[in-house]
Amino acid sequence: MIAVGYAKHSDPATAVRRCVAALGPAPARLLLAFVGGKLDPHAVLAALRRECGEEVPIHGGSAAGAIAREGYGYSGFELGLIAFRDPEVTPRALVTRQLLPDERAAGAVLGDEVRSQVTRDAVVLLLFDSVASSAPLRLHHASSIVEGFHAGFGDAPLHLLGGGLLTDMNLTGGWVYDGREVVKHAAVALVFPPGIAAETAIMHGCRPVSTFMEITRIDGADVYELDGKPALAVIERMLGLPLGGAKGHELSLVATLGQKQGDPFAPYDENAYVNRLILRAAPETGAVTLFEPDFALGTQVQIMSRDNSLMLESVRRGVAAINSAIAGGDNLLGLYIDCAGRGSARSGAPVEEAELVARGLDAGTPFLGFYSGVEVAPFAGGPSKPLDWTGVLTVLRSARA
Amino acid sequence: MSAALSQSSPGVLERELAYYRRECNDLGARLLRLQEEQSQAFREARRSRTVARLIREAYRLADGDVAPEEIGAPILEMIMENTLCDGAALLAADPAAGEGVFRVTHAIGPHVADAPRRLALPAPPSFFFTTSRTPIEPPAYELTAVLRLPYVLWAYDHPSGHALIIGNQSESNVSRPFEAGDQELIEGALSVYIDVLLRKRAEVELRAAKTTAERASQARARFLATLTHELRTPLNAIIGYSEMLAPRSPYPLTEASRGDYAVQILGAGRQLLGLIDGILDYSSIENAVPALATEWVPASKLLQQAVQMVSAGVQRRDVAIEPGTAVPGLEFLVDPLRFCQVVQNLLGNAVKFSRPQGIVTIAATLSGEGAVLQVRDRGIGMRAEDIPRALEPFQQIEGSHARSFGGAGLGLPIAKALTEAHGGTLCIESVPGEGTTVSIRLPAERVRLTLG
Repeated sequence: MIAVGYAKHSDPATAVRRCVAALGPAPARLLLAFVGGKLDPHAVLAALRRECGEEVPIHGGSAAGAIAREGYGYSGFELGLIAFRDPEVTPRALVTRQLLPDERAAGAVLGDEVRSQVTRDAVVLLLFDSVASSAPLRLHHASSIVEGFHAGFGDAPLHLLGGGLLTDMNLTGGWVYDGREVVKHAAVALVFPPGIAAETAIMHGCRPVSTFMEITRIDGADVYELDGKPALAVIERMLGLPLGGAKGHELSLVATLGQKQGDPFAPYDENAYVNRLILRAAPETGAVTLFEPDFALGTQVQIMSRDNSLMLESVRRGVAAINSAIAGGDNLLGLYIDCAGRGSARSGAPVEEAELVARGLDAGTPFLGFYSGVEVAPFAGGPSKPLDWTGVLTVLRSARA
Repeated sequence: MSAALSQSSPGVLERELAYYRRECNDLGARLLRLQEEQSQAFREARRSRTVARLIREAYRLADGDVAPEEIGAPILEMIMENTLCDGAALLAADPAAGEGVFRVTHAIGPHVADAPRRLALPAPPSFFFTTSRTPIEPPAYELTAVLRLPYVLWAYDHPSGHALIIGNQSESNVSRPFEAGDQELIEGALSVYIDVLLRKRAEVELRAAKTTAERASQARARFLATLTHELRTPLNAIIGYSEMLAPRSPYPLTEASRGDYAVQILGAGRQLLGLIDGILDYSSIENAVPALATEWVPASKLLQQAVQMVSAGVQRRDVAIEPGTAVPGLEFLVDPLRFCQVVQNLLGNAVKFSRPQGIVTIAATLSGEGAVLQVRDRGIGMRAEDIPRALEPFQQIEGSHARSFGGAGLGLPIAKALTEAHGGTLCIESVPGEGTTVSIRLPAERVRLTLG
């Protein structure tokens, strides 16, 4: 019903040929492609059309890398394909190309369209290009898109998953396959049929290393002050390092700002935190720019440290929890949306956590993952939120089983 | 427990809270730094393992059945995957194009389609890198153009003439700035490539040498088989007829039969001489080729001489050769003796494989910049798959019909070798039952037209 393929090659046509061969001969009703950033998207699309036919809708887009049982990597030459072959499992695609003028409004339109087409507890996969522009670097904020989506969709229960599409770990770019062509500033909502349910686990990897601090000055994603002091100075003091200029990029390797949900004085629970990566630092203003603009004046945050051991433990726990939840079910697809920063080239983790997922997930479930810029998943029993520095593992399964 | 802590006045609690906050933040900061140091150590270790990984993966590639010119792209993929760079290229020095000129042999990257395929570096450095602080002047200017990426890392191996360059679009935490410490990485990667390339080339040479040796061995075997047949037959005739003519021969001899036997012995002797001449010719070609004594010779004269030399065979086989036609004034720069031998061999074959009363034609014409000399018969012809065999020494075409014509099968190989020694090509077109056309093409520098 759902088949996955993975290949790695610098020649797009070869990568496609091998990947399609791995899918098997049956025709696809819809293809979901995650294309390494060094592969020409147009060449890949043309090759997919040659191999799979002109009519099949192709969605997905760029990925900093792909993850499969057959291999994984973030060289930019990876290609991951998911072929949906049966109407009962094939999602319907809704597309907006309006992220550039107003991410929230585009999300709202998409949410409204989805609402008109789904029943309760529908599973929706949201994909969009994370990088709005590279010079200067500006992201398409997942928090704005998701907030708009929820506003358009309403309060009905929904299993919303998603990922921001990147070409590489350096946030160089991103693009989307909208079904027909290569586009930018677009979001695709893949709405699964009513018979599809999902089990999702969020894998974390950060823990607080400071007391609570109040954001005392903020403008969008730029945090100027924590507890009345320049935010950059506070973080520099924590790190014991002067940061700024080009080195500001390195902040995203080291620390995040985390907002604890629920009782602030409850014992540490990784699932209680929404983390925000730091995109850059501005020594001239003392501000740090977060990946998302969803923190507000007065938000209590903590400085969070990435913890590779914790990340690997979290993955093992998450995979075990998923395996337990899906045992005996009619499992159709394991999809892993993995923050690109968790790759060991960036995190410095001694073990690739993606490999733990690929090896650990129930062997009978087809599996594919991709390295993303941001992850979206149901959070703490509430509506879905955009998350940073997480791995979101979802298994799609037949709801009737 | 101190006295201060045993009291619970608001002032003490505030101080206690401040103490724990300070300690929490200090310990957190230390944890953060330790975590970062650990991550940094892992990242550095990962980089230092890059060359080791490259070696492992590249030699796995070397073990595969890949041609030397095909290893560049997969090696670049490995380098890019392991160094996480944005682009990479392999270059080879091109001395024919000038000192310090490099040709890009393989390249992968976002802008390589628009990048130049040649690089000129008057004094190519063995190691070089650029950062955001590098002034854009030679060689940074030239090297950053190879991949059209601003930050590059370059290594050049003078003895082999090969170079490797990798590049990044930005200097950030994954694509960190290049530094002097990267010399080991880039030179190690280049060494791996050169080692694998040389190994693959050695494999190809070894395979070619093996093929040559096998062909030589096959040629020897064919030579012996040919000798067995071609020497034994006339020798048997010579011995047989000589015995009959010998004193005290029991055979009754008439004057007519004596004469007939003598003619048979003479014919068999000439056949043997022809065979030995052919073998000597073929074995001496390698030595003769460099010693060609070339001069401008009228094409018509060459054709005329060759026709005269095969006239005996023409009469014997009742075959006619249409008088050779040549473009007036056409001259060839050839060794007259050797080139005449080429034409003679072709004519000899054409006559040999023609049916009685058959016609052989020969012509020399201008073709393109050069000239073509064609010998055509309407004889037995041969199958397309037999043509390559006909050009191999001691290789007679299978089949009783062809076999019945005898000969060592050296005429065409000698003609081909001598034609190529003159810079020309020999091409055979043939249809079974319809005949054969052999074309010799001479290049422009071997051809001229003279007036008068």
